[in-house]
Amino acid sequence: MAIYHYLENFGGLPVADLRPPESEEVSAVPGKQPEQGTRGAPTPPYGSAPDDHPADAVAWRLRRRHWEDDPELTDLYDHFVANVDTTRVTALIVGAWDVDLSQPNPLIERLIRDADRFPALRRLFLGDAVQEEAEISWIGIGPWTEVLEAFPSLEELVIRGSENALQDPTAAAAPAPPPVRHEHLRRLRFESGGLSARIVRAVGLSDLPALESLELWLGVRDYDGDTTVDDLAELLSGTRVPGLRHLGLMNSEIQDEIAAALASAAVTARLESLDLSMGTLGNEGGEALLQGQPLGHLRKLTIDHHFLDDPVAERLRDSLRASGVAVEISRRESGRGIRGYRYVEVAE
Amino acid sequence: MSAGAPESPITVVGNPGHRRLVGFDAAARAAGLPAPRVVAWQDVLRGAEPGYAAGPVRIDSPGEDATVHALLGGPADPHRVEGGAARHAAFRRGLRRVRSAVAATPGAWLVNDPDDIAVMFDKPRAHERLRAAGVAVPPGLAADGRGVAVRSYAELRELMRSSRRPRVFVKPAHGSSASGVLALETSGARVQATTSVELVRTGSDLALFNSLRVRAYRAEADVATLVDALCVDGVHVETWLPKLTLDGLAVDLRVLVVAGRATHVVARGSRTPMTNLHLGNARVDVDAVRRAVGSVAWDEALATCVRAAGCFPRTLHVGVDLLFAVDRRRHAVGEVNAFGDLLPGVLHRGRDTWGEQVRALMAGWRPPETSAAAGRETPDGEQLPCPT
Repeated sequence: MAIYHYLENFGGLPVADLRPPESEEVSAVPGKQPEQGTRGAPTPPYGSAPDDHPADAVAWRLRRRHWEDDPELTDLYDHFVANVDTTRVTALIVGAWDVDLSQPNPLIERLIRDADRFPALRRLFLGDAVQEEAEISWIGIGPWTEVLEAFPSLEELVIRGSENALQDPTAAAAPAPPPVRHEHLRRLRFESGGLSARIVRAVGLSDLPALESLELWLGVRDYDGDTTVDDLAELLSGTRVPGLRHLGLMNSEIQDEIAAALASAAVTARLESLDLSMGTLGNEGGEALLQGQPLGHLRKLTIDHHFLDDPVAERLRDSLRASGVAVEISRRESGRGIRGYRYVEVAE
Repeated sequence: MSAGAPESPITVVGNPGHRRLVGFDAAARAAGLPAPRVVAWQDVLRGAEPGYAAGPVRIDSPGEDATVHALLGGPADPHRVEGGAARHAAFRRGLRRVRSAVAATPGAWLVNDPDDIAVMFDKPRAHERLRAAGVAVPPGLAADGRGVAVRSYAELRELMRSSRRPRVFVKPAHGSSASGVLALETSGARVQATTSVELVRTGSDLALFNSLRVRAYRAEADVATLVDALCVDGVHVETWLPKLTLDGLAVDLRVLVVAGRATHVVARGSRTPMTNLHLGNARVDVDAVRRAVGSVAWDEALATCVRAAGCFPRTLHVGVDLLFAVDRRRHAVGEVNAFGDLLPGVLHRGRDTWGEQVRALMAGWRPPETSAAAGRETPDGEQLPCPT
């Protein structure tokens, strides 16, 4: 499985793709302006011009579109800052920046340099690309801690990709990301087919007093996802994330071990919502949840994509629903996966 | 109707009993025509002198027949990928025999042109013909987007680097469907080839098999071996243009163009880079695709399909593989298939793909050289170039 959807909403705002400058984009054929709406479905607007929306009414997305005559993303960005009132932009999405998304994302550096032009920016998504553009494990993450430092008022950061450290020795040799302190970040999510342990440790060691929601797609070892339960220790202690209410430790091939760790973790008692979806969770992890610390304080438990047998899933449902927990457990994955192993939902 | 229009029985060159011929036979009878005569590909390839008759001669696929496969040459196992160049040469010899025999038969004329068919089964030539006509195709590896002949994996990687095209499709020059196709992704030292080809090593022997399972090769030695083996028979390399995604699937279209009109459309969705339906992929709701891109882009895309078909003007029908870009704005023609009409169950105004061809023939379609009737309005007088 891989990602085939672009964001349509971000932070409660509809997404608006910034149309390249000088592009009419009502036509698929350059230079041709067909009559619209003559029959059939209306043609959706082809991207948005800077003045199509109030700057704070949409989540602006900048992306390269892979056509020969498309502008470089840095040129599109120049067009953006020159023509949109960036002081009012609250949500920004960066899509594909290159034909090879493991190359550094040039907009990260630009955004960091231009941070004072975005005083209202609260939500940032880096790497909104689909499988047809890049395998998720081939999308580079970039210097995310520097992004947090440059935007102290940011409230939501989503990063899709991997460090590619296992594939690229220079990435492995680079210094590990430093822990950060950020006073206002409320939501943080890494979407990854393989999230390296050093990122997970940096998140765990970061002081994030306002953080309410954290989701980590841990991925698989083949794609750099070398996180072990030990690497999660700081995070599971919860000491640096006193406001955490929702935790998703997801898309992992050690999902059973993670469930067992959560069953005795200090942070668990403070959560309102726990998400163990997308991974290889099986009966072992399910039993650990049943026998560990009580989970009846949760408002919600989500396990979508798993390998729990029906009786274990049923016991989880029954025991938690009795305590008023909204339990969402999907049907067991029926596929055997490659070589008969359990598989995570998003790996490539 | 002009002399030689289908009061004379239609002759079909094909594999007797194949569902393609069964389908066309049924369509002809349903239209009140006499049952089509059949000239077997195996007779053509054996050099027999099959009897043709006055009237249209329609050439159909030589595929999916063990005897014909053996006569075309290459490895005996029909699942093997190799042998494409030899089979293509044999196929062209057969096409030339059909042309000669039809030319020698008074009143007989060809519904699809052997040279057009040969070009459609030669992807570099087909792409060049489309490009020259201004039809958008995925760029090749030259700086200007032309295709470049690639003879080895090493040469391919160098071309990909110099042209900054890290994601490409490598296709056997003479292949059909997804046979032998690799979706190749590279980044630095990283490489991945997604393909339905199974690479089998037995001692020092190497064999490539088409399978129904799409798999990924990540070891560069394997990828190099695959590409080098494909290069023996010639490859076509084009940029992997990110395709439209819809409901969790990468989507493209097969558009049948008959007598200059886009008629039957199938949308195909996949979770792999290959959308071919036999690889476990699914048909997608065509209207959902139309809604996603909007009616203007849709109409333009179908007009592009008609223009692509127009590059093969002496051929009644072609199946155009059309891909919308991931931005939903642009489109390009991936392939034009000479035998792209096997779309069972897909109807246009109540007619299946074979019924559509029969109707065009009954309306007097002739290749441009032989009749002024070509391109005239069909009797129901529709004015739009793309009625679907």
